[in-house]
Amino acid sequence: MIYIVKEDKYLQVDVNLTEANLNNANEFKTQIISLLDQKKKSIVLNLAQVQYIDSSFLGAIVAALKHAISMQLDVILVGLQPDIHNLVKLIRLDKVFKIYNDYSEVL
Amino acid sequence: MAQIAKNILLVDDNPLYLKLLSQAFTKEGFACQTVLSAGEAINKLTSYTPDAILSDYEMPDMNGMEFRKQLLQLPAYQDIPFIFLTGNKDTQLMTAGLGLQAVDYVLKDTPVNVIVAKLNSLLNTVQKQRELSQQEIRRAAAALNIRVVPDKIPAMNGLQVDFWHKDYQDIPGGDFIDFIETDDRYAFILLGDIMGKRWKAWFFIFTFLSYIRAAIRFSILSGEHSTAVILQKVNYIVCHDDMLRDVLSSLSLLRVDRVTGQLFYAGAGDMPLLHYHAQSGELKQVNSSGLLLGMFADGSYDEQEIKLNSNDRLFIFTDGLTDYAAEEGKKSDYDSFALRLQQLLTYNPSFESLKQELVPKIETLVDDCTIIQIHKI
Repeated sequence: MIYIVKEDKYLQVDVNLTEANLNNANEFKTQIISLLDQKKKSIVLNLAQVQYIDSSFLGAIVAALKHAISMQLDVILVGLQPDIHNLVKLIRLDKVFKIYNDYSEVL
Repeated sequence: MAQIAKNILLVDDNPLYLKLLSQAFTKEGFACQTVLSAGEAINKLTSYTPDAILSDYEMPDMNGMEFRKQLLQLPAYQDIPFIFLTGNKDTQLMTAGLGLQAVDYVLKDTPVNVIVAKLNSLLNTVQKQRELSQQEIRRAAAALNIRVVPDKIPAMNGLQVDFWHKDYQDIPGGDFIDFIETDDRYAFILLGDIMGKRWKAWFFIFTFLSYIRAAIRFSILSGEHSTAVILQKVNYIVCHDDMLRDVLSSLSLLRVDRVTGQLFYAGAGDMPLLHYHAQSGELKQVNSSGLLLGMFADGSYDEQEIKLNSNDRLFIFTDGLTDYAAEEGKKSDYDSFALRLQQLLTYNPSFESLKQELVPKIETLVDDCTIIQIHKI
């Protein structure tokens, strides 16, 4: 479901899902939180493959961000599809997540 | 009501047998996906949730037993009914498989129509059991007098309030509506959506609603009317309640002043409301700045007055109305929803007919749907 693409200042992680929903939200949250705990690095999450996100999965990403913040780390989002980016802005999640087009913009 | 095709995932390394099975199931009205290995099946399941899985036992790389063991470790997949297809009559093997909660075993030389009948009967049993459990919980909820949708709408001078709510697949989910009259002057209208679906979200609703009701009443008692202050209070409690850790909810909160007819609004991570200006025919977004309840102790809530003129309408809704399943997959599309709403409103429809047009068809529904209309008469 998630793959570490590169590890430098950040952990660059691809999310290999086309539909991010209730069925995979818990598993995703557990994996991201354990990555944060193990690596103690901020995560750049590439969601380019994700075509649809439901509210359960958004909740899991927010839970990961809250966990990261408690460790003084961050979860950064890149590669959002236009519909998903729009949804994120509509519900004001763009106020809490740093959002970039791709990895290169983060660095 | 339209019958929704049951989805089944067929796993077999023999493409010919797979094709035969797939044709037989499709003919019987099932929607089939086929894969040639257990590894492929696991990949497929990340973006697709079938109603049942039929898997060959003998496959290279990962056999059916290993496949089943892997699925049992993943909570999202462990409850999907699973049938082993095997050419092997080894009873020891069958016992081992049943120990892995494979719901059934079918020998591969069984005529295909018998396999289809077996699957149908299995899915019916699973469905019946699910319905019985749901009935039990509904009974318990009714006994506790817990409702997520109100019976009646308080009378408000000059404002007609209508609402509609539909559970996803008839299982209560995360949406909740409430109308609260605190005194002769003020009434509150609220619409929330707990993130997460089904029973889990539904259980959290009661804690959230209790906090919201209490915050509204305590605020009014102490002379505080601001919807933003009320949201901040609810958010503070939710953020500090260990039981609600990682539970997030959106909330649109409106206060109606029944003396002056004024309407005030604050939102928490909710979909922007839509205000239809009858005179100009424009439909405008009403944005708020507040974050989801439970996200951070400071949720940046603000209150604004929404001025409705005669014949104006205000729509408050959850994402079940903007999300839908299309052929190319599920989508969230707020703008298309707004555009459609605006087109429909030019005919000045009643809420009832608007609802008929707006509500997604059962096949395309992906979440709970709730919409409230406030119409200034």
